[in-house]
Amino acid sequence: MNQSPVPKRTALQWLSKQGYRFAPALFFISLIILWELICRLGQVPQYILPSPSAIVEAFFNVEFSRWMTHLWATLRVALMGFGLSILISLPLSIGMIRSELLNRTLYPALIVIQSTPVVAVAPLIIVLMGTDDPSRVLITCLITFFPLVVSTTTGMLETPPELIELSQSLRAPRYRETWQIRIPYAIPHIFSGLRVSITLAIIGAVVAEFVAAEQGLGYFIQFSTSFFKIPQAFAGLIFLSAISLLLFKSVQWLQLWLFPWSLPKKK
Amino acid sequence: MKKLNRLSMIIMALAMTGSAFAADKVTFQLDWLPGGDKAPVYVGIQEGFFAALDLEVKIASGRGSTDAVTKLATGQSDVGSSDIGALMAARAQDNVPVSAVMSYFTEAPHAFYVLADSGINSIKDLQGKKIATSPFTSSNAFLPLVLKQNNVPVDSIKLSKVDPGALGPMLMVGNTQAIIAWVTNTALFEQQAAQTGKEIKVLPWSEGGLSLYSSALLASDKFLASRPDVAKRFIKAYAKSIQFTYQHPDKAGQDLHKMVPEVDADIVAAQITSIHNLVFNKISQHDGFGMLTPKRIAATWKYVAEANNLSLDSLDPETVVNRAFIPSHD
Repeated sequence: MNQSPVPKRTALQWLSKQGYRFAPALFFISLIILWELICRLGQVPQYILPSPSAIVEAFFNVEFSRWMTHLWATLRVALMGFGLSILISLPLSIGMIRSELLNRTLYPALIVIQSTPVVAVAPLIIVLMGTDDPSRVLITCLITFFPLVVSTTTGMLETPPELIELSQSLRAPRYRETWQIRIPYAIPHIFSGLRVSITLAIIGAVVAEFVAAEQGLGYFIQFSTSFFKIPQAFAGLIFLSAISLLLFKSVQWLQLWLFPWSLPKKK
Repeated sequence: MKKLNRLSMIIMALAMTGSAFAADKVTFQLDWLPGGDKAPVYVGIQEGFFAALDLEVKIASGRGSTDAVTKLATGQSDVGSSDIGALMAARAQDNVPVSAVMSYFTEAPHAFYVLADSGINSIKDLQGKKIATSPFTSSNAFLPLVLKQNNVPVDSIKLSKVDPGALGPMLMVGNTQAIIAWVTNTALFEQQAAQTGKEIKVLPWSEGGLSLYSSALLASDKFLASRPDVAKRFIKAYAKSIQFTYQHPDKAGQDLHKMVPEVDADIVAAQITSIHNLVFNKISQHDGFGMLTPKRIAATWKYVAEANNLSLDSLDPETVVNRAFIPSHD
């Protein structure tokens, strides 16, 4: 019995399968190694491009409790701003779907708000509302709420018209039409909006911290740069990106947990 | 009824003890992030100078002189350190309810930084050179004046505006021949230069003929009018904190580090030492520490008006100053 080609093929298959599985991680690791090599062999000064090892060192040079203080300051504002934008966006979208007048009146205003650069408005908000959390939460909310309004409205508009007609022929009240037909249809769209918004919430909190803050990861990055501690600023930046990524994934997990049916079916 | 009376007496007694022990709250506005030149207020808290005068001080960081003046004007802060020139410019254009109550930097902190081996030894040598500055620094307004005073035609230099964090690296790698920054950055730029085995040279504008008040203690007019006693106590403790900071830079560095752990105590100490001359110099010796003399105030306004294209008669510079609170005035 000559069985030798079979295990060879399975080993190759296994390797290619693992390669496919770990391709993103391998690519990422190679990139970091390349970055480290460029910095070391090219003797690039730290203030121009810090090496990954210098960034890791800078990360551990900052006390864990300080990281947590800054993280909590940013996360608190980001989540409050995100929460506020959900509270505003969902009723607003429902109102705009149900009333053509409201839609005509508010939509241009929403476009104006969205096209106004929040970075330019942020200092004015701070002057008007003070330097505490409320102004930072408002700045975050202004950045995050638009994608949510658009995705929720689009989702509700995509409800099959025959279902709406059916509910109307059965004389279902409007609230049932909204909650039991339109909203479920909009769930995938709402979660797409939430995923975009949660990453924008972190950006919003950082923008607010750049304008006025005594704590937070944005403040920490700005502060490190002002002292030319570039590896420390990079450490803050990478930490911030990791948190943003984690929040993005959390929204996905939430969708999987609450509305598994709304996810596209895996092949 | 008796019970009610007893209860109200207890409440009154509690309220009185509360007010007897509660320190007066003061919000201090910085014009930038914490650093060596901002150390005195941290020193005042850590060394107990404010607490000794029954004051509880909260610090708010700022994002530039104009930002600090705005926050004082809108009542978000009571008192703060900022450029007196920014206040003068604001007062000339709008009646901002903020006054200067004590001088801090009696010389201008602006400077050119060049590499030691660049062959640039004075401001006069900058003719035809590439100079980088940050977009929002107050130095930019004074640049044409200092160039004029040193007979360097303004259009002969090639000025570029970049992020403050990029200035040092640009100088070290040779993308620019000079940069503009405050002398408070000397210790940091020296550290960067050391990484590439280079040395830097500082050309302070105060030595190039620019003689004016710069950073000063400002206060909101509302704070001065409604709580004059608190203001007086605060300014007294703040003056003591400045003296202590420059006498004990190492201790000041540690005090700042205790409140802002991200700041290195030794860098702060080096910054304080490098700017000693801005605070304690011939002017402070001659006029007295903290004083704002009418002559120098008028000279400062002349520079500010010219730098900001304002007419000299758009402001009586004396109206910007409130000398009633300078500690040595008593």
